[in-house]
Amino acid sequence: MGTRAVLAGGLAAAAVLAMPALAAQKLGEVQPPRAPEQVYAKVCGYCHGRNVGPVILGRHLPAEAIRYVARHGQNGMPAFRPSEISDAELAALADWISRADARTGEHGQ
Amino acid sequence: MTTIDRRGLLGTGLAATAAMGLGTGASAKNPAPLAPGRSKADFAGAMKAFRSVVGAEWVFGDEEAVAPWTKTYIPDPSGHYKPVGAVCPENVEQVQEIVRIANTFKQPLWTVSTGKNMGYGMTAPATPGQVVLDLKRMNRILEVDADLGTCLLEPGVTYQQLKDYLEDNNIPLWIDVPTVGPIASPVGNTLDRGVGYTPYGEHFMFQCGMEVCLPDGRLMRTGMGSIKGSTAWQAFKWGYGPYVDGLFTQSNYGIVTKMGLWLMPRPPVYKPFMVRHPEMGDTPKIIEAMRPLRVSSLVANCNLMMSASYQLAMFKRRNEIVPDGAPLDEASLKKAAKANGLGMWNTYFALYGTEQTVAAIEPIIRAQLTASGGEVMTAAEMEGNPWFHHHQTLMQGGLNLDEIGLLRWRGSGGGLAWFAPVAAARGAEAERQTALAREILEKHGFDYTAAYAIGWRDLHHIIALLFDKSDPAQHAAADACYRELVTRFGAQGWASYRTGVNSMDLVAQQYGEVNRDFNRTLKHAIDPNGILAPGKSGIV
Ligand SMILES: Cc1cc2nc3c(=O)[nH]c(=O)nc-3n(C[C@H](O)[C@H](O)[C@H](O)COP(=O)(O)OP(=O)(O)OC[C@H]3O[C@@H](n4cnc5c(N)ncnc54)[C@H](O)[C@@H]3O)c2cc1C
Ligand code: HEC
Repeated sequence: MGTRAVLAGGLAAAAVLAMPALAAQKLGEVQPPRAPEQVYAKVCGYCHGRNVGPVILGRHLPAEAIRYVARHGQNGMPAFRPSEISDAELAALADWISRADARTGEHGQ
Repeated sequence: MTTIDRRGLLGTGLAATAAMGLGTGASAKNPAPLAPGRSKADFAGAMKAFRSVVGAEWVFGDEEAVAPWTKTYIPDPSGHYKPVGAVCPENVEQVQEIVRIANTFKQPLWTVSTGKNMGYGMTAPATPGQVVLDLKRMNRILEVDADLGTCLLEPGVTYQQLKDYLEDNNIPLWIDVPTVGPIASPVGNTLDRGVGYTPYGEHFMFQCGMEVCLPDGRLMRTGMGSIKGSTAWQAFKWGYGPYVDGLFTQSNYGIVTKMGLWLMPRPPVYKPFMVRHPEMGDTPKIIEAMRPLRVSSLVANCNLMMSASYQLAMFKRRNEIVPDGAPLDEASLKKAAKANGLGMWNTYFALYGTEQTVAAIEPIIRAQLTASGGEVMTAAEMEGNPWFHHHQTLMQGGLNLDEIGLLRWRGSGGGLAWFAPVAAARGAEAERQTALAREILEKHGFDYTAAYAIGWRDLHHIIALLFDKSDPAQHAAADACYRELVTRFGAQGWASYRTGVNSMDLVAQQYGEVNRDFNRTLKHAIDPNGILAPGKSGIV
């Protein structure tokens, strides 16, 4: 019967839920790829827009430069290696940051 | 102010920053040297063989590709501490293969788990010519036992991943974090014998069972792990015969590929406190008051006794407190501390238990600390204070990176070296340590931004040597200052509990020739080719 239907339903649900809910890590498995919002929330956003780094959302910084800073670090900011944030994750993240709107509640340092 | 300049620069095009390699420590002129006695052909051969194991996309050899592994905060005026490459396996079998290849080509490997050993060298090796063995991709949470309060982890699991897993699955266990949890790891931190701030804060004490890839590529399990069918690998630490787990911490005797840890059950009641003392000279009083509470475990977590300067450096810039070039005098500090709801010393601890146990203990503790001249504060009085909030988060294993703000205290160049000498928990000793540290730091033009971590019976004096790494004079001064700190503290019988790659040999000398010789004998016996992390803790 409805393998097709179930699959279609599943896919639709996946689209609705988007990455965050789906990407929870399972026991015995490596961390699945993360969406830009997740990487921002679980890495960059602890410093940027809080007590440590400058605001980077809503400034339309060039994606290439964001990738460069993430890989090399800059002064007080540590570098993030491809083993921590994959090239694919970083490409999506940089793109997302460069287009994102400013967030209310964030403050720079 | 520097920030604004930088912001302006970035506004005009971050690409310019990229082109200039601003503040990143990367430089095309100084490629990192190979290991002693190794030829370009040896290195190329090893890298080629690594590629065949993990795939070309997970081996990094040219200078630009290796840049993410070269960033450090520590003083390194001569650019000595740089890896030549990096390799990132995804499982234990690949680690074993890499080790066999390293033996064939005599290519040294510097192992990191998550590589955020910030202020100790990050992923940079202690001697030239090493390839970083970066285990971050191995990040499986292998087991969590909610009843026993144990877990089994791969090295690349961050505190963030573990916490998310526990929360997603409604498992009522806590984690215990060093201050920089989101990007660091239980395995990496425990292997450097790091500390956190819940009752499980002395991390190595709560480690139980390891799997280790030995320098010859064989796998060994410690404790009960090598008994077929044992269910106690994560429950019973000692196993049988010599207890060996400690040999794999702060050492270069093996590559830890799995580690068991104990996790604390979430207590019904968690109540954080802060005690403010008004004078720098209150150091001995605070420690004398705290010690009996710690030794008896009435206060069960590792306390942080933070100086006003350390606290202010987290969220303020130095030039908001004194003008650039002026010394950080006590009067200005006091004024700034007061304005921010801080004392000259701020000691954080918490009570964990039930309503009844907390209510029973609190008056005893209050009486003791009030008698020492402290003001005892709780969330009720400190609501909205960012420092209190930070410590409130830490002492329940919460995640943040607020303390990285320290890196921006002085200019924006991002320089930090931790100097962490140990003493017994006695007030008089701390008083002498503080005086000596201030004298040396001030002589070199730096501030005493320090804290005491009050352990069960010991003190870790945690001194943040903060400097502007983009200023060559300060960079050189920081390097000299660090050496003087190590040497002169050592002469008084105070040596570091852990140190950065810039001072591993220096500190090893202080622990004496018999100890060094023992370490060296072991090293030669198990790693005759010297392929694992030469120079770690001064062991070559
Ligand atoms: C502002 C600030 C605050 C900090 N606060 C704290 C704190 O409160 N407590 C604390 O402990 N530290 C603190 N640190 C220091 C450091 O950042 C942490 O200790 C961090 O946890 C170490 O990095 P990591 O977990 O990524 O470990 P890694 O960098 O992965 O490992 C540390 C070292 O252990 C060895 N090692 C790692 N993995 C292996 C392996 N699998 N096999 C064999 N050897 C291995 C290596 O020598 C490596 O260099 C702080 C740093 C900063 C900048
Ligand atoms: C540990 C704190 C920390 C984390 C985590 C962090 N940064 Fe930063 N970042 C900083 C600091 C501090 C600066 C300012 C550096 C300086 O003074 O030059 C900075 C600067 C930057 C800049 C330059 C912007 C400017 O105006 O100067 C970019 C772009 C950036 N970070 C991107 C990121 C991205 C993307 C992430 C996540 C992958 C991230 N950062 C994670 C601390 C952090």
